[in-house]
Amino acid sequence: MRLINTLRKHKVPYLFILPFFILFSIFQLYPIVWTVWVSLTKWNGIKQPVFIGLNNYNLLLNDYMFTDAFFNTVVYWVTGVIFIIILSLGIASLLNYNNLKGKGFFKVVTFLPNVSAAIAIGIIFSMLFDKNIGIINEVISLFGINKIGWLTTVKYSKIPVIILNIWRNTPWFTLIILSGLLNIPEEYYEAARIDGANKIQQFFKITLPNLTDILFFCFIILTVNSWKIFNESYILKGPSTSNMSLFQYMYQSGFTAFKMGYASAIGVVLIIILAIVSVVQFILMRKNSEI
Amino acid sequence: MGYIKARKGNIIVYILLGVITFISLFPIIWMCIIAFKGTGESISGFNSLWINNPTLKNFKNVFEVIPILSSLYNSIFTTVMGTITTLFFCSLAGYGFAKYQFPGRDFLFYFIVATLLVPPEVGSIPLFIIMRRLHLINSLWSVIIPKAATAIGIFYMRQYIINIPTEVIESARIDGSSEFGIYLKIIVPMIKPALATWTLLTVIARWNDFFWPLIFLRSTVKHTLMVSISLLPVSDGLSTPWPVIMAGTTFAIIPVVVVYIFLQRFLKSGISAGAVKG
Repeated sequence: MRLINTLRKHKVPYLFILPFFILFSIFQLYPIVWTVWVSLTKWNGIKQPVFIGLNNYNLLLNDYMFTDAFFNTVVYWVTGVIFIIILSLGIASLLNYNNLKGKGFFKVVTFLPNVSAAIAIGIIFSMLFDKNIGIINEVISLFGINKIGWLTTVKYSKIPVIILNIWRNTPWFTLIILSGLLNIPEEYYEAARIDGANKIQQFFKITLPNLTDILFFCFIILTVNSWKIFNESYILKGPSTSNMSLFQYMYQSGFTAFKMGYASAIGVVLIIILAIVSVVQFILMRKNSEI
Repeated sequence: MGYIKARKGNIIVYILLGVITFISLFPIIWMCIIAFKGTGESISGFNSLWINNPTLKNFKNVFEVIPILSSLYNSIFTTVMGTITTLFFCSLAGYGFAKYQFPGRDFLFYFIVATLLVPPEVGSIPLFIIMRRLHLINSLWSVIIPKAATAIGIFYMRQYIINIPTEVIESARIDGSSEFGIYLKIIVPMIKPALATWTLLTVIARWNDFFWPLIFLRSTVKHTLMVSISLLPVSDGLSTPWPVIMAGTTFAIIPVVVVYIFLQRFLKSGISAGAVKG
């Protein structure tokens, strides 16, 4: 009775959020929870699922394709975090440079990579990095380096994927960091200048400390995005598993090999990794802000 | 002295920004150059950097390689419907969260925000099963509906609506507006900048989406542009019809770049409001 009374009293807001919640629950929450259950079964998606406990996870541990994909994704994640954060900090500082003419133009143009489709750019990259006709090999041959089979050799095939990832994602983080830079009061810099601090000191004493929250936000988003890299490695295929991402392996197991349970186990591994990363980050963050 | 030093600094900044601009634009411009090259012209190495006899033939040939018209239609339909539905569901619920007091409000909201850390792609296998049971596989709605209610969308809308003065809503209520009428006639016009930003971001995301169309749209006539493009016959070396393929990718990139250039002025204020004030 009390529940019904509450619902009646607050009918309007509940009605406003209800359509959202119905869609969100059926198409986003429920599938994620269901994934955990599917990961404990053997299932081809058609017959009845058979409960097999943690067997899929056992299989994962002995599957070289899984460990390859896992390792590749770690490489994409680490390179992505390092390069994207450094580059976007640099580019944002440039765009924030005082009395710069054409700021608007540069902002619009440098954001374009983030607007263009990863799949299409991936195809363009596969031509740029082509061993025989690609312009990348032409450029490095000017420096006397032999032609490299970027997408045909195990050793190099991750590089185009890493570059595409950085190229496409840096602009978005530049925009976020730039908005953070604009929020730092100009007086801080004035005071530092009066105290005789140079540009580098200003950067480490004022800019970075004031950006901690935003850099933390960037790190989390970058981590989530990196662990679900799919388009880049799907389109820039290397030999065998040389650049396959974890998420791509999940897709392959589920939608081309129809091992639904196995694929779901990979999905659960992804959820666990992201949970650990965010908990660790959260703890570090708490510690930092206490100091 | 100081003046000269400042100018020197300026020049370095301009040079660096020039390099970044070049790197940002190069793949796109280069794609356009290749797309206009005739069959006889070399497309390899530095020869690919200029066009001697521009031709439109490649764009005609794309039609033979992939069903570009139906793909274009499917992409436009899913982008437009996907954007409209997201704007409606997220702004309506965002308004509910921003301007009403009700039991469970904070819990529900933070619960949604917490799910931001779990990519929905993780649940793609059950979602595929759900879509099959709803008979939506190979229906364009299968890529529209799941993205109509997103955690990030409701978060963004709430952040924006919370800044609207509550007095405006109260005076409309005193004037006898219905609650939904307030949303439609007061809130929607007031959050136009937020809607514009979110339109731009959603259009880019929907148009470029590849994973969901790839798993849900399995028949050729239902493919979106991105799926069709991914099926272009790319292989190693010269056997690949690169000019035709570049004409195909042009269809995928240029429309959304044009939309972006027209609407980008909404982006600066908008995206940062959602990301930073959180």
